[in-house]
Amino acid sequence: MKHKHTKILFVIFVNMIVLSGCSPIKEKNLIEEIAPVTFWSIRKGEDENLRMSTLIPPLVKEKKRLLTVQVDLLKEGMKGFNLKYYRELKVGQLRMLLISEEIAKEGISPLIDTILTDPDISKRLYLAVVRGNFDEYMNNQLKMQEDLDYYLYRMFKHYDNQGKLTIINLHQFMKTLHSPAHSPLLPVFEASEENFQYLGTGIFNNDKLIETTNYMEEQIFQLIDNDHFLKYFAIRDLSIVLGHVKANVHLNMDNTYSELKLNVQLNGRLDEIAREHKLLTRDELSRFESEIELYLEKQTIKFLKKLQKNKVDPLQLRKYTLRPFSKPLNGREWSNRWERMEVKVDYDLKIQPLTDTKN
Amino acid sequence: MLYFAIIMPVFLIYPYMIWMIIIVGILSQISIFMLSKWFNSMYASKGYEGFVELFGERMVRLIAFIGIGFIFLKVIVIILGYIEVVQHFIFPSVNTNWMLLFILLICWYVASLGMPNTIRFIVIAFLCTAWMLLLLLKIPFKPFTTIHDLFPLIPYEWTMKSWKGVLFIWSAFSGPEYLVLLAPWFNKREKILKYMTIGNTFTIFEYLFLFIASLFFFGSHYLGKNKLPVMEMIRYLQSPMFERIDIILISVYLFHFVFAISIFLLLFYGATRITLKKSKDQTTRLGFALCCAIFFICIMMSNELLWKKATNQNILLELEIWAGAFTYLFVPLLLFISLKRKGHS
Repeated sequence: MKHKHTKILFVIFVNMIVLSGCSPIKEKNLIEEIAPVTFWSIRKGEDENLRMSTLIPPLVKEKKRLLTVQVDLLKEGMKGFNLKYYRELKVGQLRMLLISEEIAKEGISPLIDTILTDPDISKRLYLAVVRGNFDEYMNNQLKMQEDLDYYLYRMFKHYDNQGKLTIINLHQFMKTLHSPAHSPLLPVFEASEENFQYLGTGIFNNDKLIETTNYMEEQIFQLIDNDHFLKYFAIRDLSIVLGHVKANVHLNMDNTYSELKLNVQLNGRLDEIAREHKLLTRDELSRFESEIELYLEKQTIKFLKKLQKNKVDPLQLRKYTLRPFSKPLNGREWSNRWERMEVKVDYDLKIQPLTDTKN
Repeated sequence: MLYFAIIMPVFLIYPYMIWMIIIVGILSQISIFMLSKWFNSMYASKGYEGFVELFGERMVRLIAFIGIGFIFLKVIVIILGYIEVVQHFIFPSVNTNWMLLFILLICWYVASLGMPNTIRFIVIAFLCTAWMLLLLLKIPFKPFTTIHDLFPLIPYEWTMKSWKGVLFIWSAFSGPEYLVLLAPWFNKREKILKYMTIGNTFTIFEYLFLFIASLFFFGSHYLGKNKLPVMEMIRYLQSPMFERIDIILISVYLFHFVFAISIFLLLFYGATRITLKKSKDQTTRLGFALCCAIFFICIMMSNELLWKKATNQNILLELEIWAGAFTYLFVPLLLFISLKRKGHS
């Protein structure tokens, strides 16, 4: 009996403390009083400071608008938003961080570090570099499309690991940033008043954006870098489009790391040809294949040479120097070898013959 | 050990530590072998009396007194480590002393049900937490992992840090030495070697799995920059239904901590009674509550004075690494040697 009494007393005591507001949990998360944001866009303001924007409120039925503050520090921006808006902004649902190209070229380490130290923010946060004025685009599009931020996020999620666009989240970025090759990647988008479009892969050296791949380089990069297939592989110079291209990449490095042999086997079909052709005969087809092969070899070598010149290694070729029982090269040794490495590229294309066409 | 499993990858970092885990695990089998010899002897079933027969009362009191220090250190590191995790991932704005109080209240309740019930609680704790490892099975198959993250597999330089890693692994294997204090409550002491070997193998696999998964996830170079790698991995997981599964997992993990701390609370109470020459008297609720209060105050003080100030090098954690390694090496050795001497004389 006595035991029961103590239990009841204990329950009453705990309830008294919690109900009277002496709760040890101080953060208030009432849904009417908060506004979880889904993205931040950061660009350079006037002078040396940052301009941060986000879309609010993504939660309740209320007209959305773009909120912008001008600050010196990232987290100060967070505070700035709260002072400006009647609901408290929460970063627990932050899904995208869009960084302007100017900032990316100067180095994004300070920004990333701030994001990393906040335990509320998931490591699945998508990062992207934006060329042009994203705020303008947002403001323009909001009139036409309500849930723009959400669909933007769905786009990132859709292309994650598809091998068609480069989509990188915070964790992947940090992992490549810390690996001795120090060449992380981020997607680069271009924003104008009407458009927000994918440009290519931004290649970083440490935390600074060095260059962005162009149209052809991007396709080659996607082919070599991952095991997925490329749905459309457009070669403008030869006016053809290959479809469902699957690459089988063999990399070979000799023991002194002075020569890299890249052997790519491509399988695909001809989706579109915009020129005179007689491809139904076997001879014609193989001649055509070797023409494409030659072209691709030239382009790939050009691309790799450019990477060597810029001292970046976005394909993570360094990892092929690692073997279970041999001493690894450190970062500097590798970058020295990589700069001087001779590159040999060999493509082997197999096209499924075109059928069902009038010719 | 619970908390050590969470932070272990940070101390190991290099892929060749995979072999070290296996080697140290095999060495730990020797300790377990020595312990099992003691379990099979007639002293084990007698509990306190057995120790008195073996060492003499004065010596036992001295050992109990020293033991209090080790128990304190272990509990402080376990509980404050866990609270740190909770504060980092779930309640960033809550005062840690509140959490400490709540956790100790739970432990007090569990421990007050008596030793047999507390030992049985391990079944609940195990069932609640063991499956969590399976969740991490996904990690090595993430698209950004490559087998090259595990290379090179052999060491090319051996520094102080590597030695520390080995010490850490040994310390992480420690814990079975406290089982000798629970011996009177075990009823199948003949097969204990078998059970303990199974336990040891399971631990080796668990550590190996955690370490390899974190190597895949972070890569050797990024791993050292993280503070709580295993928790970060869990945080990265997402279920389509519920995004923050880490909150649930961390909360459920509390079961394991409650079990360990309750056992140590009871051991602490017992050790205090032996030290104060009260071991013959009846145990009282008041005495136990007093012990819990002392516990709470001491942990709170070390939280305020030592743990919070620790930036990167945490002195308590450092001490516990050494202390755990020390007890796991010398307790089985001491018991084994004194058994042999008794056997001869």
